[in-house]
Amino acid sequence: MKTRHKKGGIESGGGVSAALMMFPALFLLVVTSIYPFLWMFRYICSDYNGFVSYFTGPQNFIRMMNDQLFWQSVVHTFEYAFLKILFVMPLALVLAVLLGQKILGSGFFRAVYFMPTIISSAVYSLIFGFIYAVFNGSLNAILSAMGLISAPVDWLGNPDIVMLSIVIVAVWGGLGNYMILLLSGMSSISADIYESSKLDGANGIQTFFRITLPMLSPILKVVLMLAITTAFKDYQSIMVLTNGGPNNRSQVMFSYIYQVVFGTNAVIPQIGYGTMLSVVSALIIGVVTAIYLFISRKLDDVV
Amino acid sequence: MKKPVLCALTATMMAVSLAGCGSAAPSSSAATTETGHAMPSAAGGKTVVEVWTNDRHDLDYVNKKTEEYNATNPDNIEIKQTVVTDDYFNMLTMAKTSGTAPDLAALNGGAAQFDLKVFAESGIIRPLNEYLENASEEYVRNTDYKDRLFEGMNALGDDIYWVPTGQRSGTRVLYNKTLFQEAGLTEFPKTLDGMVEAAKKITDAGGGKFYGYAATSSSPAERCMEGVAEKSGQNQYGYDYANGKFDFSGYKPIVEGFKQMFADGSVLPGSQNQQVDAMRAQFAAGTVGMWPNASQEAGVFTTQFPIDSFEWGVAEIPTLDGMVHGAQTAVPQKGYMMFADTDVPDAAWKVIEYFASEDFLKGYFESGFSLPSSKHMQQVVDSTKSGRIQDFGTYDYESVYPLPPSVTIEGEDRRTVLWSAAMGERDIDEAIADLNKRYNEALDRDVAMGKVKRLVIKDFDPLHPNEGTVEYRNQ
Repeated sequence: MKTRHKKGGIESGGGVSAALMMFPALFLLVVTSIYPFLWMFRYICSDYNGFVSYFTGPQNFIRMMNDQLFWQSVVHTFEYAFLKILFVMPLALVLAVLLGQKILGSGFFRAVYFMPTIISSAVYSLIFGFIYAVFNGSLNAILSAMGLISAPVDWLGNPDIVMLSIVIVAVWGGLGNYMILLLSGMSSISADIYESSKLDGANGIQTFFRITLPMLSPILKVVLMLAITTAFKDYQSIMVLTNGGPNNRSQVMFSYIYQVVFGTNAVIPQIGYGTMLSVVSALIIGVVTAIYLFISRKLDDVV
Repeated sequence: MKKPVLCALTATMMAVSLAGCGSAAPSSSAATTETGHAMPSAAGGKTVVEVWTNDRHDLDYVNKKTEEYNATNPDNIEIKQTVVTDDYFNMLTMAKTSGTAPDLAALNGGAAQFDLKVFAESGIIRPLNEYLENASEEYVRNTDYKDRLFEGMNALGDDIYWVPTGQRSGTRVLYNKTLFQEAGLTEFPKTLDGMVEAAKKITDAGGGKFYGYAATSSSPAERCMEGVAEKSGQNQYGYDYANGKFDFSGYKPIVEGFKQMFADGSVLPGSQNQQVDAMRAQFAAGTVGMWPNASQEAGVFTTQFPIDSFEWGVAEIPTLDGMVHGAQTAVPQKGYMMFADTDVPDAAWKVIEYFASEDFLKGYFESGFSLPSSKHMQQVVDSTKSGRIQDFGTYDYESVYPLPPSVTIEGEDRRTVLWSAAMGERDIDEAIADLNKRYNEALDRDVAMGKVKRLVIKDFDPLHPNEGTVEYRNQ
């Protein structure tokens, strides 16, 4: 406590203690993120199976450029991310607004909607696998009981609807998380503003569009950015539900990279080529994020 | 009061999550990973032999026998076993590079992630030849090891790296006898066409309540398309051993048969997207006529999903014309490889001999963990004790194919492509042409790069795949 009062103590002592405090985080960042990222570049031009590395020059790059499966998976990733965000963000916002009000049971429903976030995606995907089952699956049973379908739908085996089935699971799993983030953003909006708008006679919809949304926009921007990067990196539930099938229709970038890096039961791991794909995928996500940030900044200027 | 509690809770959660990160390493015996190499002078002057395994199903039995051995063996050896189930072969490699490798590692044949050639040439494991030459009579008798050498799987040329003590049966078809009767079928068909027809009849009799056949998303080609192909003379790897190149052409009629089954609607709808346990549950519930899988199902349908409501049979895989034209793969199991860096090779060998002793193996097989692979053990084991696994007993035509070179193919692997063709997602001729092209391109490239050698067995006989003259070429 004494040093605090010494002249200049705050700067010099603070510097050391700040460095010390940052050290664990920095250490973990270097060891678990930066080092592995740099490590990848060692093998980007190699055929590497985990033991012996063979230099192959531009072979991996040429292969990547001509790899139809990879580029298909990139398209699927965009499709998945677009659909997921299209549904999850508005729904999360609506829920946040509804449950942000102090009404009976809002705490309970918050907990209910947040629940999927704390369940492992592998577990709930497995359960959805049973729900989607063609034979004796509960979703088909409900729909046919309601008279909406005449024959069971192959939710995960039909190439036309498999992506939608996966997006439903993703929305279910991600909804609560974004709802909580938006709720915490909304709690920072002063109650006085709502009160005065009420006095001015604004109705609920007006309040939402004129007050909540504009005042939430800084948080919304960050949440949306998180949602975009997360959606581009999602692959766990896909691996459990379809493993990329049918016929690679639900293969996304990272599920494909996983298969390349870790091998399947009929092919050895191809770590060298996997690192090439990882770097390209990171670039793609980086570019998407940069474009989003650029656009959101421009929008700020306009607003 | 709330804040300190919250802080404490958060701190605990962080600590737990960090501990979780740490436990990615093998965890069952902390001492194992910390001590690194087994030092000859461990507790009580005992020689510690560290053993890693990725088998969990037999753990209780192995632990019990290990404790017995530790307490009674005259050589003062102590076995320390560690179970590593996730990413086993990567973990072994990492342990080797970080200097914490065990002395022995258990393994089963047929894991695509394990390339014997790489493990041997990188100096991770050592050949067992010098020990095998002086092996005890009991060891030779219990393992028949000279008849259990499979090129590329446990041996490279004259060097022998591990010896299996047991085996898994080749794929069989488990069938529901009640549903067979309802469909007017009296016995299991011998041909693929017969099986396709039987599946259709059962499905027709079921009227939407039960179906002829069930597929799964877990390695579907393996159950049982590959088995049919192998017995019909087309090996599962699509490798033309006599000419040293890949040729998947022989798969055509087999893939067509399975495609027909899908086209007939005889496959349980959606089963191709369901995991293996979900389909086991369906078979046990009586909604599936035929369910293809190997000897592990004996335990599954007696303990995991016990079947009481109907009788089930175990049939041999059908072939194209009902005759056997090639060996069917029966995966060798439960062998131990010795790490090159071990400080206690002699003691490690003694442990290998113990795991192949009659005392150990008899109980092992009678518990139904695996099938005996030597003539002696087949006679010794009391099959009445081992339950339904005896129905999966081995056949003369079962063997192991020499492993073709592991090549770095571009695009999808053979199993994915062929199954995709069977499900009607792509044209069969196009799929086979695509596989031939990509696999041979990869082989040529990897041979030129010096990564693999071309395996040629000029006098290859598909019925006796291990009896030919093995030749490795650099071109």
